[in-house]
Amino acid sequence: MELGTIEREVFVDATPDVVFDVVSNPEHVRRWWPDEAHYDVRAGATGTIVFGKPGTGETTVGFTVVEVAPPHRFVFRWTQPPGEPAVEGNSLLVTFELTAARGGTLLRMTETGFREMGWEAALLEQQYNDHVSGWNFYLPRLEAYAAQVGTLR
Amino acid sequence: MTAAVVDDDVWSAIGDPTRRRLLDLLLAGDATATTLSEQLPVTRQAVAKHLAVLDRVALVHGTQVGREKRYRIDAAQLARAVHQLASVQRAWDARLQRIKALAESIERAKR
Repeated sequence: MELGTIEREVFVDATPDVVFDVVSNPEHVRRWWPDEAHYDVRAGATGTIVFGKPGTGETTVGFTVVEVAPPHRFVFRWTQPPGEPAVEGNSLLVTFELTAARGGTLLRMTETGFREMGWEAALLEQQYNDHVSGWNFYLPRLEAYAAQVGTLR
Repeated sequence: MTAAVVDDDVWSAIGDPTRRRLLDLLLAGDATATTLSEQLPVTRQAVAKHLAVLDRVALVHGTQVGREKRYRIDAAQLARAVHQLASVQRAWDARLQRIKALAESIERAKR
């Protein structure tokens, strides 16, 4: 077991273009991960992501876009203190790799940097969502969002 | 060290492949630097150093037996470390499931 890296994979029944948009566009990202996401989808762009509702002891961490290669790769660093440059040692590096497969997309996620900065950072989201249990919180949001996307098209 | 939270030192201790191999071997039973070095392509001295690192972060405990220290694994500390890794993996699995559901709902809306 490699303890410095996490690798996960999921098959998505959607085109790489759609999946790329969902994993990179902050409008989509805040629907599957943080409560807020502020950054430009451009290599080198810096911004923030926020866990928790404003005024409820929320946590804001830095988010830096490293690589944007639609619809194949989206790479970013997170967990650095907001405003600080993201480097090895103060941030975790996340790489999304997308491959067209079986009429959909094979999405592979790699997160590294734990050895340099520890695992607590990666548990951020969990700490701030302790009071809610996963899908009970996300599913209603997702359904509402899916319905909204449907009406718009 | 009896910390309930696994800290960065523990992760850097586990980060080394030789030390992970030592933990694997110690899971099979208590051992000394001498017996462990017989199962690894490294010297007894190197093994002793690695064991000292693991001992400092409480992943193993050494007890003096005669001229050598006999090491045993601290199952609780190792379990905490593994649990933390599993937590992070579960967090990503949940995120990926949400990505999947979201992308598929958008795809369906487009069709």
